[in-house]
Amino acid sequence: MTAAAGVRAPVRAGRIQPHARRRESGLLALVAVVLVLGSVSLGATQRQLAGQPASWLPADLGQLAIYLGALLVAHLALIMTGRRADQVLLPTIGLLGGLSLLLMERLPQALVTQSLLGRNFGLASIQLGWLLLAIAVITIAAIGVRSDSWLRRYKYTWAAAGIALLLLTFLFGTEVNGALLTIQVGPFSGQPTELIKVVLVIFLAGYLSDFRPLLVAADLRLGPLRLPPLPYLLPMLAMWAMALGIVVIQRDLGAALLFFAVFLALVYIATNRTSYVVLGLLLFVAGSVIAYQLFGTVRDRVDIWLNPFVDASGKGYQVVQSLYAFGRGGIIGTGLGAGLPLVAGRLPIPAIHTDFPFAALGEELGLIGVVAILGLYLIVIERGLRVAASAADDFRALLAAGLTLVVGVQAFIIAAGNLKLIPLTGVTLPFISYGGSSLLANGVVVGLLLALSDRGVEPPPPPRPGRGRRPAFLGGARSAR
Amino acid sequence: MNRRDRAPIGQGIARIGIVLCLLFGLIAVGAGYWQVLRASDLSRAADNPLVIAAARDVVRGRILDETGAVLASNKKDANGEPYRVYADRSLAPLIGYASPVYGTAGLERAYNAELSGQGSPNSLDDLLSKLAPGAQRGDDLSLSLSLKLQEAAVKALGSDRGAVVMLDPRTGRVLAMASTPTFNANAIADPTTAVAAFTRTAAAAGQPFLDRATMGEYVPGSVFKIVTSVAALGSGAINASTSYAQQPAAEQTGLPVSGFRIHDGHHDFTGSLALDYDQAIEVSCNIYFALTGLRTGGAALSSWAAKLGFGAPLPFDLPTAASQVTNGGGNFGGGFKDDVELANAAYGQAETLVTPLQMALVAATVANGGVEMKPQLVTSIAGPGGRQAIQPAVLNTVMSPSVAGTIGNAMELAVESDWGRIFTSGAAIPGIDTAGKTGTAQIGGSAEPNSWFIGYAPATNPTVAIAVVVEQGGHGSARAAPIAGSLMGLWLKTLSK
Repeated sequence: MTAAAGVRAPVRAGRIQPHARRRESGLLALVAVVLVLGSVSLGATQRQLAGQPASWLPADLGQLAIYLGALLVAHLALIMTGRRADQVLLPTIGLLGGLSLLLMERLPQALVTQSLLGRNFGLASIQLGWLLLAIAVITIAAIGVRSDSWLRRYKYTWAAAGIALLLLTFLFGTEVNGALLTIQVGPFSGQPTELIKVVLVIFLAGYLSDFRPLLVAADLRLGPLRLPPLPYLLPMLAMWAMALGIVVIQRDLGAALLFFAVFLALVYIATNRTSYVVLGLLLFVAGSVIAYQLFGTVRDRVDIWLNPFVDASGKGYQVVQSLYAFGRGGIIGTGLGAGLPLVAGRLPIPAIHTDFPFAALGEELGLIGVVAILGLYLIVIERGLRVAASAADDFRALLAAGLTLVVGVQAFIIAAGNLKLIPLTGVTLPFISYGGSSLLANGVVVGLLLALSDRGVEPPPPPRPGRGRRPAFLGGARSAR
Repeated sequence: MNRRDRAPIGQGIARIGIVLCLLFGLIAVGAGYWQVLRASDLSRAADNPLVIAAARDVVRGRILDETGAVLASNKKDANGEPYRVYADRSLAPLIGYASPVYGTAGLERAYNAELSGQGSPNSLDDLLSKLAPGAQRGDDLSLSLSLKLQEAAVKALGSDRGAVVMLDPRTGRVLAMASTPTFNANAIADPTTAVAAFTRTAAAAGQPFLDRATMGEYVPGSVFKIVTSVAALGSGAINASTSYAQQPAAEQTGLPVSGFRIHDGHHDFTGSLALDYDQAIEVSCNIYFALTGLRTGGAALSSWAAKLGFGAPLPFDLPTAASQVTNGGGNFGGGFKDDVELANAAYGQAETLVTPLQMALVAATVANGGVEMKPQLVTSIAGPGGRQAIQPAVLNTVMSPSVAGTIGNAMELAVESDWGRIFTSGAAIPGIDTAGKTGTAQIGGSAEPNSWFIGYAPATNPTVAIAVVVEQGGHGSARAAPIAGSLMGLWLKTLSK
């Protein structure tokens, strides 16, 4: 089993040699051009609306320069430390984050304000701060994580940490829009759910890679379904119960849907068995029916989804206004800063910066922009799954796939919710929505993906015998060829 | 160990990747559905901020009176959004309001498209272009109305409920159109007070939102005798010298019609004299007109009334209620149930219901030699494309000039003769010959009758016609006639100079 490690580049001990990242350089230059053009367009529109003379200056030159500078620093840090990590992820995330910055610059700055060190900061300044922190997290994780043993060894500790975070939210959380999501510490508030999803993926990757052989061996027959022995089904049931618990305790449908979908997908990747997916979907349907019967929140969401226009000025207001925004955008959009007509001095959608940035961009960038943003997420998904498929062992494969799915599925849930394809739930649009928790958690995700993609990191430990019926799969399969 | 166990982990990853691609493709399809297929109907929805903003950002056109005095203009609120300001309370039931909360009413509603600059059917592009920086301006409306006359009319009605309509009989142009009680349209247009003001007005006694001039339906009483005259003289059923032998006796005993007795008895001084047409108008003889109605016939009365505009809403700048001579549905002829209803309708009781505007038109038609002009309030619309004047139009040639002359002569006697003065003295304008007819409309029960007057002046070459109704104002001569006299005097002697 050392053959797998044998084909890899040896670990460079001690000396760090810079290594050029030409593809990343080129893509980042392209991102800079796109963002400068976007900012110039926004600036022109804003000056026109304010009745100021036209000019070619970007909307907020300082903020844009700081943001692009941070991307450049991250890029240079990866070069100087000689990292051979994926070169497409950083520019893609950079473009998504840059769109977020432009959107926040375009929205009324008073949507969010924070006083720090005697200065007052508005929406865009705060979001820029979080974006810089997220880029820092990405860079530190990409460069600093050289071994995954601390992740794989303590999987139950991670699981416990996840449940502890959940309990913390339950005990100390404050309610926002009917969901118990936020923990307030001094002037700062955070949403632990965002971190729980990362922790949970680490646990699942560890658990599934360890018990993969047992889960694959089916000796329990249930009609047409072939299932593993009952003890190994328990974690799945526990996950299902946890997802339902999130709905019950936090009334956070989006997070529950996200956790369960990622869980099912990882089980499918680990076992390659459709019967699990079918079973999972049956459990999902059963859970949904129960939740619909028991919880008014769930009933409301589903009823609004089925026909928001019935109560367009009441319960269906946000969804209807979101659809209006998409409609106003049409194919080419109104242009940054030219959409979102005010009603009595207020934006038509209250939670536009957290729950409906996709609708805002749909209006201002049009169908073309929507397709482009979807394309960016697909690039992230493609790179992440590529990292997973070429990972050195099962744990890394499942971890990379899980992290990728967290971003991809979350983007799907909120984008589809904005477009009334599925009931609306209040998850953030990764890298675009306003919010520190979301940006930092997704920064951790991308940082870990970059670290996992680095061919220079420490090779995985040899599989421990006796844990499963078969040793590690990927290495074994490869060496057998 | 089966085949499946060995399947590389990459296979599952690839399949999940494909599923995600399909899901994101689904989002793109969903976006395409809303952004392309449904874009245009979404963007036209009434509650779309685009539509609301387009209507709000537009600076509504002004409304001006016949002298150019501003009746409705705009101010800007704290957000820089324009809102409506009106010159006077007396205009409220007529001009209505344009409110950011409650939409539009009255003339603001009827001419909303012009006032908000969307006169032509607009495409989505037009609507979008209206969001472009630089406030859009609506078209200005010029009215034939005189603000001063309007204010005087509302003041004359005072705390009573009622309506005044004044027209130029030669053109049909409205000089005043008052309805009381009025309300504070400024408070409803002001975004900061709209909700409270609207709620208060909607619940107020006397239905201030109701424009009584165009929408109020009143029992006409004796003013309807002019309509009966048009039908009877126009159809040739009677002429100016027609008299009825049984009429003097019926004054004492009542006129038997199918076992039902029609009573009168309010002009004892005519004694045993069988009145002719002029005298019947002068003393407002119910028996004479009941007999005239019976002689004319229900079908003729209905069809001649229809020539004057009864039976359908009048064509006007504002919505109008239809006036009626009968409920219809009867088999007696012209929709009447029987001859009793016809006889009573002929002097303005039974099921006759009229709007003040309709009765003003009746007076104006007599004044204009039988030619009824289309009532008109808006005389021109001025926009970026220039000024479009709206010319007076003939609505209908109702009767011959000689018939109109006969009726007009009787109406002049009703105001100016010794007998007439007993009933209609208040309408006389010192120095100007005036023609008119009072009405005292019984509205049932012990309630005071509605007080009516219709007429015109000067009696020769008339330039103003009027209808006044004061709800429960008592006898026509007591309340409505003096109001009409003073308002026509104000117009002829002061304002029209």
